[in-house]
Formats: sequence, structure tokens, C-alpha cells
Amino acid sequence: MILINCPYCGEREQSEFSNGGEAHLARPKDPEVLSDKDWGEYVFYRSNPKGIFYERWVHSHGCRKWFNAVRDTSTDTILKIYKLTDNRPDRREFESTLKSPSGEPTVGSGNFSVKK
Amino acid sequence: MPALKNKHCQYISNNEIKITFDGKSCRALEGDTIASALIRNDIKLIGRSFKYHRPRGIYTCGIEEPNALVQILNEHNEPNTRATVKRVYDGIKISSQNRWPSLSFDIGSINNILSPIFSAGFYYKTFMGPKGFWKKIYEPIIRRTAGLGKPPKDFRSKSIHQNHNVDIVIVGGGLSGLIAARKLIDTNYEVLLIEQDSFLGGILKNSNKVKSIEGKKTIDWINETEELIHKSKNIKILKNTLVTTYNFTNHLIALEDKFTGKKIDTKKSELTLHKIRTTNTILANGHIERFISFRNNDLPGVMLASSFEKYIHRYGVIPEEKPAIFTNNSSTISLVKSLINLDCKPSAYIDFRNEEDIEDDIKNYLKTNHIPFYPESEVEGCHGNKSVEKIYIRQNSKLLSIKTSMLCISGGFNPDIHLFTQSKGLVKWDNDIISFKPDIAFQNTITLGSVSGNYNFKKLCDEIEGKMSFLKINNLSLKIETNVSENFSIKELWETKIEKKSNWSKSFIDLHNDVTTKDLRQAIKEGYDRIEHLKRYTTNSMGTDQGKISSINSLGIVSKILNKKISEVGTTTYRPPYAPLSFGAIAGRSTYDYYDPERKTPIHNWHIKNNAVFEDVGQWKRPWYFKNSKTETMHQAVQRESKQTRQSAGILDGSTLGKIEIKGKDALEFMNLMYTNALTKMKPMTSRYALMLGEDGMIKDDGIICKINDKHFISTTTSSGAPKVLADMEEYLQTEWPHLQVYLNSITEQFTTFNISGPRSREIISRVFTEIDFSNENFPFMTFKTFNYNNSQARIMRASFTGELGYEIYIAPNLALELWEKIFYYGKDFNLVPYGTETMHLLRAEKGYVVIGQETDGTVTPIDINFHWMIGKKKKDFIGKRSLARSDTSRKDRKQLVGIVPLDKSQFIEEGQHVVECESLPKKIKNPVEYLGHITSSYHSPNLNHCISMAMIKGGNKLMGNKLFVSTSNGRKNIPVEVVSSVFIDPENKRLVS
Repeated sequence: MILINCPYCGEREQSEFSNGGEAHLARPKDPEVLSDKDWGEYVFYRSNPKGIFYERWVHSHGCRKWFNAVRDTSTDTILKIYKLTDNRPDRREFESTLKSPSGEPTVGSGNFSVKK
Repeated sequence: MPALKNKHCQYISNNEIKITFDGKSCRALEGDTIASALIRNDIKLIGRSFKYHRPRGIYTCGIEEPNALVQILNEHNEPNTRATVKRVYDGIKISSQNRWPSLSFDIGSINNILSPIFSAGFYYKTFMGPKGFWKKIYEPIIRRTAGLGKPPKDFRSKSIHQNHNVDIVIVGGGLSGLIAARKLIDTNYEVLLIEQDSFLGGILKNSNKVKSIEGKKTIDWINETEELIHKSKNIKILKNTLVTTYNFTNHLIALEDKFTGKKIDTKKSELTLHKIRTTNTILANGHIERFISFRNNDLPGVMLASSFEKYIHRYGVIPEEKPAIFTNNSSTISLVKSLINLDCKPSAYIDFRNEEDIEDDIKNYLKTNHIPFYPESEVEGCHGNKSVEKIYIRQNSKLLSIKTSMLCISGGFNPDIHLFTQSKGLVKWDNDIISFKPDIAFQNTITLGSVSGNYNFKKLCDEIEGKMSFLKINNLSLKIETNVSENFSIKELWETKIEKKSNWSKSFIDLHNDVTTKDLRQAIKEGYDRIEHLKRYTTNSMGTDQGKISSINSLGIVSKILNKKISEVGTTTYRPPYAPLSFGAIAGRSTYDYYDPERKTPIHNWHIKNNAVFEDVGQWKRPWYFKNSKTETMHQAVQRESKQTRQSAGILDGSTLGKIEIKGKDALEFMNLMYTNALTKMKPMTSRYALMLGEDGMIKDDGIICKINDKHFISTTTSSGAPKVLADMEEYLQTEWPHLQVYLNSITEQFTTFNISGPRSREIISRVFTEIDFSNENFPFMTFKTFNYNNSQARIMRASFTGELGYEIYIAPNLALELWEKIFYYGKDFNLVPYGTETMHLLRAEKGYVVIGQETDGTVTPIDINFHWMIGKKKKDFIGKRSLARSDTSRKDRKQLVGIVPLDKSQFIEEGQHVVECESLPKKIKNPVEYLGHITSSYHSPNLNHCISMAMIKGGNKLMGNKLFVSTSNGRKNIPVEVVSSVFIDPENKRLVS
């Protein structure tokens, strides 16, 4: 269970929040002009990276406000929290600080609990 | 014969209590564990093993116990309790497990002789066929014989959760933990010290390995430290508390037993689950001794050497005065010294190490005390009927036997890296201690003492100073005198070769799950040479003890077979919890009545008085139907309610309906985007049935929108969909259209809702609200009026979910019951009936109205259920609009909503059954019978006097009038049916609008 620093309320338990999936996917202004494929991409396709992930959260059992977060999906470390009106932070801001558990590679998965 | 009286141990009182084991009364001392109490009574046979039903005794003296699991008959009838952990109290009733008819004569032990067929992968290989055997024969038999204890009945454990926010957590109150705590006394750090035992001291109280600290006796030093901690303002001690979990983000979970050594008071909470957030974690949770595999290493009487020593020092009981000792390391000499101090003498000391590697002071001590010494030797196996009688020692490849009733073994020590690896720390192999030890921490974790792989007491203070220096606290150097040699020395030994073979002879690697070293070899031979596969195939280290004394041994054996280094074989993944954690503890207060809140409408008590039977709708309690008399069945009640509503009038408590108020400058634009309907041309003070879609075009919710003006709407939602609809609206407002000036408010519980319908409803409601003109001209269908009722705003809408003339009344909850009764007062003359959700469903089905979540399932578009007319085609955009033109949503063979009636009007169609084209299944099925769709709703209509159903069928609209078949749950002949319109009653809407 991680702690999340709601930009409006402060640090709270994860159980007060709901995750809203990938961030920065604006709803197309004019859906009618999109091809089936492009519209399908918007509706159904989401990225699922290991490492830096921009995602949305809502303080559903609190102020009910939506906000964005950058999370390292391999360690659940929240790297940054920012309001919807703030600019998307550059990933280079976090790349150097990433830590991976058990020394496993930052990409891919597997049990690397023992260093060779 | 062990002494009952305790003379030399400070942790056990001399107060005698009575306990029962398998019906036999035994004496015990206050403070005993079940295991120490049984040892005091000279009971060696404790239970039968999991697979082979072999006799088993007490192997260890702590959490790592694989054998001595018992059932506690009082309390909650708790199974699989560790006898080595659970404290006894006066009157506790204990029983052994996994035996029948009795512990000493167990029929299941025939498995032991049949063991050649129970080898690795037995279940996977054996129960493959013939078809149908699994369900009828194998599974029931396996279920009956599976498991150890019996599950508790009527389990009502109470537990609470407690949160902590601290700077430093110290896990383990042993020597290292206490030194760390002493250093932190009166600093600015808030510290939590957690100890699983009810006394601090760890190895200081469990052994005599440490002679003195700063010249003080260890017990005095422990007491002094505890007092200093108690006086300090910043350190809190939790005893009887086991840390089970170390999560990401320095979040730890620990379980405290509030009734250690006491009878549980069922009125109080017996467990506390501590949820701890910390900045730094100090792991000082020590080590666990491991065993060695040899022939019959599971016999009662075989025990780990340090556990034996713990029984002496911690519990004041000597399991055996003349045990043999088998070791491969230097630590075991302290056990010999403990025994000699008590005038006991080991019958043999077998050391696997080379003679020149064995420390001189060990050799001298054994010599001066005339203890038979076997250097460079090993135990080949042991013999005995239900306990050790004889052991075989191999010295210079010759076997010699000696008589002894107990064998203490030590195969070395594993730093207890479980929590460290849970926290995602990296471990490495250390050839000096022949074990894995922590390497790089992933979180703010430091390990101190034996958990870090440091077995040298003299170097302990330096280690602690070094690792804690970042906290910038005072140095504390202590002089520690020991009874063991300064440097730990060990020679690798995982198993010894079996010479005396027999069917009964087995060399175990996992005592809990009865896995033998032979099973490991066989599994590798069959290709399971990866440690994670091997573990699952053989069930090695998969018992409730998680292989605490044996998992590294299995790595050692596997590495030898594969001719690899152990570090190349790797470990299996350590996952929380560290030790079994009861579900009751995790559930906390969220059990039974507190599991989920119940929501009740303001009319609830009236419903109870009028014999309502309730149905759960989300968290709501809704009347399902009202029982007219004691003998009336649900079917009779629903038929009566439905008939009466269509003939005269009925009333439903619809308060659970979700209600959302939408206000603001841009409310109209927002509503046009959220709902499919065209709302711009809608006149103020009218209402409209509306649909909400997902972005994928599928129906998400429905409801009625009331338009007060372009800046103010009220919409209703389904009862269970209300929170989700509000959350979705809020999401779009905040994330997609923040420029829209709209605000939302849930008013579900601010307005109590009644739905009154039926041909006489206008007459009733005209008498209740005399000031309102309810005539059709003045109050047409799908309009509403707001008015003042007893100084409170009320609203009446003309709408219907039954197909009859109907009104929905919205009223403040505090006035609701009075109004409800008033309606009944006037309704008497018009034969008004209260009806429940079942009748509501039946009536709407007669009219062909859909229920979201019953006709639809998240894969249904408005077009699929003939709701073209609800789509504002001229609107540029709304949620889901684009998806209605996707290739998938415009497929010709999509399932469509139709009505279904049986051709034989006496037959009844069941909900959920398949609609197919064939009358019965072909005798030989070559190709699966094509599935056209399924029945979504089905009722016996009292007004038509036959069964009516709705179904979602592929291309259903084109099948009108066709003959199809519906399957039945008893699998016999399919029911012939006709596809009809889904509107069964009043298709011209005459009743609705007049």
C-alpha cells in the first residue's frame, strides 16, 4: 500500500484513491473525422510500460479531484504528482533516479532476486 | 525423563496448570508453549505427517516448526497451530492431527508402505483419466484425506487494525535489536521495537552462547536495557508481535497476539494487526538453524540443536539428559556446555568437520568431560519405533551404532532474509557461512547481527556502529564475552548417504509436505531442473512453514546434482506473509454486520411491519415482495401485486433510485455530451428517458432527465449505478471539459421517491395533493411540477416504469413516511397495493422495458435494443457516438432484443437459457450446436396468463415470427418458442398517455 500526496489534501493512503489509467490521452476534439483505427486506438489501446508511467488518479474517497502522477511501475515509487493544469514533466527528470528492485533490469520481468 | 519442576529458568513460573492432549490430562507450567509442556510430560509423538502419515514429534522451538502442528479444541477450534509457538493456559484442550483412529495406531500410515506410488508429481500423473473420474471419484476422496487439521466451525475471531507512523522500526528484540535500541534512547527519532516472543533478549535468553555483557549476566543486561527503553520517551516496545510483511514504500505489517498464554476473552479483540509506516527499518530478526537430511531424519526424537538449547534456557525443560549431537559447525558446543552445567552428558558428539578444523577448545572441553567424540563423521540414519532408539554413525566409511533416544542436529544457520527479500533487497551467497545473506538494500533498510550474516559476537558492536552512523547518534561500545569460539566455522553438508535401505527408510528434505531427497532427484530427472519449477512439482518448501529449516538445503542438494554453484541455482521468491496470518486478522472489523453498510429507505420500518421480504440491491435493502399471509408464496405474492397494480393501483418505494443535480451556465452543453438524447429542444419542466454510453458505444446507464431550464437538470440513475455515474460525470468535467461551468451534486438521499401507477393512480394522488390539477391536459405524460409541501420543496413527475398511468413523487425524507401513510389512507378506496422489486421487474417486462444490467451486459449498444429513437443523430458529439459507427457495432449479426413466448402456453422458460435452432441435442455431437442468444428476463405474466421472456438473439429483428427452441436446466427436451415483439402489453401506449 503506497502513500499518495494529493495536491489538494496532502499525503493519504492509497485506499482513498482510484487509479484512472494512462494520462495525457486527450479525447479527440472531432471524433467523426477519425478513422476506425485511430478511434479504436483512443478507446481501447493503452501503454503498459515497466518503469516510468504517466497516469491519472482521483481522490475518490476524499476531495474527488483528479490529478496526474508519474510512477515507476516496477517499484510503485511515485516520482511526481502534478495538477491537471500543470505541464507534463519531462521523463529525463526521472530517468537518472530510477531504482529497480533486486537489481533486475529496468525492462522485462523475471525473478532476479539473486545476483549472478 | 524431563523434570516437571523448573529450577533454572526465569521465564517460566512454577505455577502448575492443567492441559489436555488427546483427552489425556497433563501438567504444565505457566508460560509453557504446548511443545515445552508436552516435553515436560515426556510426550514425543505429536502428530502424523501430511502424506505418509509417519509419526512426528517436536523438531524445533519456534516459528519454523514443520512437524508439531496441533488442533486447539477450545477457542475457535483452530487447526494447524504451531505447538512450538502457542502458549498454554489452564484448561486448554489440544488434539493431534491427521490420524485415525488414534495417534499411535493410524491407518493412513499404510501410505508410507505404498510410498513408491506417491512420489513427485503423483497427483499430476495419476488422476488424468478416465473422463469424469476426477469429479465423481478422485476429487471427493482427495478432499477427504487432504489437509492436516479440521477447519474451525462458526469462526468469530475479533481483531483490530492499528496504524503507526514512526521514524525507525527495529524488527527483533534480540542482542542486536537491543543494542540498536539502546543507541536510540532519548534521541529525536520515534522508534518501534517489535519482538515476537513475550520476552526480549533473543539468543541471550535462548542459549548460553553469550556469557556476559559489560561483565553483567545476560538476564541483568536485558532487564536493564528494557528498563532504560521504558524510561525513554521515544521508543515503544511491541511484544508477542510478529512482523509478517515488509512491503514497498517502507510499509510493514505485524500481528500482535493479545492473549498469549491466556484463555481468549471472546468479548475482546484477540489480534491486533499493526500497519506501520516508517522512514528507516532495522532488521535484527536473526537466523534460523537448518537441518541435515539423513535416513529417517523425521523420527520423533530428532531435534535441532539450538532448539534443544532453547528448551533448556527459555523454558527450563531438558528434553533428554543424554542426547547425541550431530553437527557440521562450531556453534553446537554451547549446547554441550549447557548440558554439562546441568549435570547431564551427551552420549556422542559427531562433528562432520575435519579434525584439524575443529577448534582446540571444543576438543579439549569434550575430552575433559569424557564425551564420546566422533570427528570427520556423519549420521547415516536412525532407527526406532515411533521415536529414536538407535543411531548409525559413519566414521572412516564404517558404520557403528549407538543407543540414544534423542539426536540433536545442526546443519548451520541461515540468516533470516525473508523480510529483507520481501522488501526487494538483493542477497548474495557467502561461502564462509554457507548461506545467502543480504547484499544491497532496496529501501532504507539495514540489517544487524546474524541476519546480516555476522555470527561473530565480538564484531557485533563495530558492525552496529558502522551501519547506524548515518543516524548521527552516540557510540556505544559493549564488551561481550561468549561461550563459543569467536569465528564461526562450518563445512558444507546437506545430506548423508543411505546405506541401510528399506521401504520405510526415507531421507526427508521437507518435513511438512513429506518431500524426500529422492523426490528431488526424480523431479530433476524428469526435467524440472529450475528451482521454481522443482518447488511446485515436488511441493518442496510449500507447507505452512515455507521450508524455513530446509529450503537452503534443497538448493544445496540440487546444486550438487546439477553440478552448479548454489548461487547459480538461485532462491525461490520470498513472498509475504513470513508466517501464516489468519484471515480474521486481515479482515479486522470488516466482518459480519460490519462487512458492508446497509442502506435503508425512510419507509423501511413500514415495510417490515407490512411483512416485506427484502432483497439486496447494492448496499440497499429493498422490499422484494410483500407477504399477504404466512402461507403466501413469492410467486403468489408477485402475481397478486402485479394484477392489482394493472387493475387498480400499486405503489413502489423507489427511494434507492440515484439522483444527480446538474447546475451551471453550461449545464445543457454538458448534458448533451453525457447523454445520447437531444436535449436542446426539450422544453423546460419536461422530462425524458435518457441513455448514457461508454466511449466504446455500449450502454452504461439509463435514467430520466428532468429539465428545469437550460442551466438546471436533475437526472435519475439506476439504484446501483448512482455512484459510478456521478464519478464518470465528474471525471469528464474535470479532465476533458474543464472549461464548462457545471457543478454536480448527489441528491439520492435528499429525496425519497415513490412510484405510484395503475389506472386509479390519478384518483388517489388527486386526493392526496388537492391543490394540484392532475388532469391529462394540465399534467401530460413526461412532465413534472415542483411545489411546496409542508414548507419543503417537492416534485411530482408523470412517468411510468410499468406501462400504466403513473406518477413519481420526490419528497424530503423527514416527511416521507407521513406522506406514504397518507397515500395509503386515500388509496384504500381504490384498492392500492404496495409492491416490491420483483413485481416491478415483471410489470416492466410485460411492457418491454429493459433493465440495464439484465438485458444489457456491457456489450449492448442502443441500436441492439431498438433504441434508435434515443440517439440525437444531429448532435455533433456525445460520449460513445463515434463508436456506434465502428465496424463491430454495425455488424449485421449482432444480438438484438426480442420477445419470446412458448408455443405451448403452459410451459415456462428459464432466465439465462440458450436460444437455439434445434429441437434437441443430436446424439453424437460433431459440431457444437449453434448458439443464437440467451434469455435475459422471464416471468409468468398474470395479466396475459402465460410465460413472457426477453432475449438477446443474433439478428433477432429479422427472426420475428420464427420458431426457435430454448434449452432447459434439466437438460431434457428444448422448449419450442416463437420470436415476438418485446412489448407484450399496450404497444400503442394508450394507458401511458391518457
